[in-house]
Amino acid sequence: MSDKTPGNSSPRKQTPILEVPLPTEAVTVRRKTGGEPDTYLGRLAYNLQFIRGRGALEISIVLVVLLAGYVIASLISPTGFAFLNPNNLSGVISQSVPVLAILGLAAGILMIAGEFDLSLGANITLSAIIFIQTSEAAGLWLGIAAGVGTGVVVALINGLIVVYTKIPSFIATLGMSFFWMGAGIFINGTSPAALTTSREGTMEFLFAHNFGSFRSQLVWLLIIGVVAWFFVHRHRLGNHIFAVGGNPAAAEAISINTKKVKLMSFAIFGGLVGFASILIAVRTSSIQPGGTATEDFTLFAIAAAVVGGTSLTGGRGSVIGIIVGAALIELIRNGLLLAKAPGFYITLFVGVTIVIAAIFNKLMEGKAR
Amino acid sequence: MSNALLRIEGVSKKYGPNTVLKDVSFEIGQGEVVGLLGDNGAGKSTLVKIMSGVVDSTAGDFFWDGQKIDKMNREVTERLGVETIFQDSALVPQMTITRNIFMGREVTNRLGFMKMKEMDAVAAEVLDSVVTIEGIKSPKQLVSSLSGGQAQAVAIARAVHFKRSLLILDEPTSALAVRATEALLGYLTQLKGEGVSSVLVTHNLHHAYQVCDRHIVMNHGKKIMDSRREDTSVEELTAAVVEGAVGLQRFREGKF
Repeated sequence: MSDKTPGNSSPRKQTPILEVPLPTEAVTVRRKTGGEPDTYLGRLAYNLQFIRGRGALEISIVLVVLLAGYVIASLISPTGFAFLNPNNLSGVISQSVPVLAILGLAAGILMIAGEFDLSLGANITLSAIIFIQTSEAAGLWLGIAAGVGTGVVVALINGLIVVYTKIPSFIATLGMSFFWMGAGIFINGTSPAALTTSREGTMEFLFAHNFGSFRSQLVWLLIIGVVAWFFVHRHRLGNHIFAVGGNPAAAEAISINTKKVKLMSFAIFGGLVGFASILIAVRTSSIQPGGTATEDFTLFAIAAAVVGGTSLTGGRGSVIGIIVGAALIELIRNGLLLAKAPGFYITLFVGVTIVIAAIFNKLMEGKAR
Repeated sequence: MSNALLRIEGVSKKYGPNTVLKDVSFEIGQGEVVGLLGDNGAGKSTLVKIMSGVVDSTAGDFFWDGQKIDKMNREVTERLGVETIFQDSALVPQMTITRNIFMGREVTNRLGFMKMKEMDAVAAEVLDSVVTIEGIKSPKQLVSSLSGGQAQAVAIARAVHFKRSLLILDEPTSALAVRATEALLGYLTQLKGEGVSSVLVTHNLHHAYQVCDRHIVMNHGKKIMDSRREDTSVEELTAAVVEGAVGLQRFREGKF
């Protein structure tokens, strides 16, 4: 190849197709990315444009409008629409919203990682049974540990199956859901597991105490919500969950262990489900093994996440959005009950809400900036 | 030539009975831009996967800075600073530019919580100085709001910021508009100044010829050509890529 010296006047050198080396002046013009405005309001507006289209903001507006409507209706007609009645606020709202919100966070975090766990309802039943039995036999603290621990173990087993066999989590966890439901019956028999004397005192105070216009559950939601927000949106590992759910190949290319992150997401899911099952068990005092009462939570939890802006395909979602989504679903349910709508209306309206939210989500995904 | 950044010797790869790579050897110098050319099925992608540690080679030796490497796997390539930018999968579209730049290398406090302000500031700095990207307003933008060219540029900016020593770009220009392609090729030239070596994998000869110091042409799993830019021409490369070793032979005979 040394015979081909540069400047050789062979025909192929006569008509250079392209200039070599490429002139780079055209791209060396340095352009500053726009700085943030100086005023407080300016900064707020500037930052808002980047939050827009990510779900949480829009759904919060819907919630505030609905809430305002309820308050006005309740003020006009305190007996006809008893929303502001302490019995309703404390007895219904502050018991149902936290449970669904915590379950929504569980399902939502897993969805951000790109997975589902349809055995959520069965997990609640099993964890609650273990919590009740352990609390009755060995006291509250061991009971809490056993309840949350069961949730984690169940979810981790599901996670291991999903991660290592690469079966779609939808199918794997649907199958496992029947297994865990059966496991509850195997452990407890077919008669309900019930809290008796152990419910009194500390357990009742911690998980179901009535403070007048709110209950203990609401405090737990506050604590879990804040912790979850800092973990999901501000922690390194939370960032990895988004990365793995959003684009596994990119995460892998940058040396994030996608299997570990998915297993971690399953474990977090399990911990939250285990904790929610304690709230449910203490509220109702008894759990029916193999019962369908907890089954509804599976889809409602996913619905709360979707209404709150969580993507069904992973990589998108927010803690605030999910909590607001859960609150919205429970408020609609509560409003229909207060308006004395027939029972089937409730599922009908919740169903419509979910589909509208999903369509809305889809539109937002295109608009997100 | 002992100071080559990466030297590979006699690399072969078999998938079952199929031999995808046959005894491939070459080196990549410090700050050199190498074009890895070849038609579809020439073995380019397999070679990229082996160099980035995703796939094991069946046979062959690797030397980094003259030091022999026992096994090219993800941990080793991560430590050495090899970064591969695959065509569409370098970034997470649903995340902000900042989070993408720091993905897997987040700036955190001791508890693992990210220092967002610091990361945003550094990201803005990276976007302004490492490579020049037009039209990006803020590092808080989601990557899904960027054009293909801007996204590629962010991926390159990330690799440069973290002082990666070898950048492998797999078909980076295939999805880009003309202007974006020009800018991207411009970045590669800029990278040389920063001392970063890069491998440009493409079947667009014109793009490669503009920026690469050296061209390696693959054909049916074999290296059939390895020339410095001044020793070759677009026409010769075309002959080699399109018609393989035979075409290259004929082209050279026709000339001399």
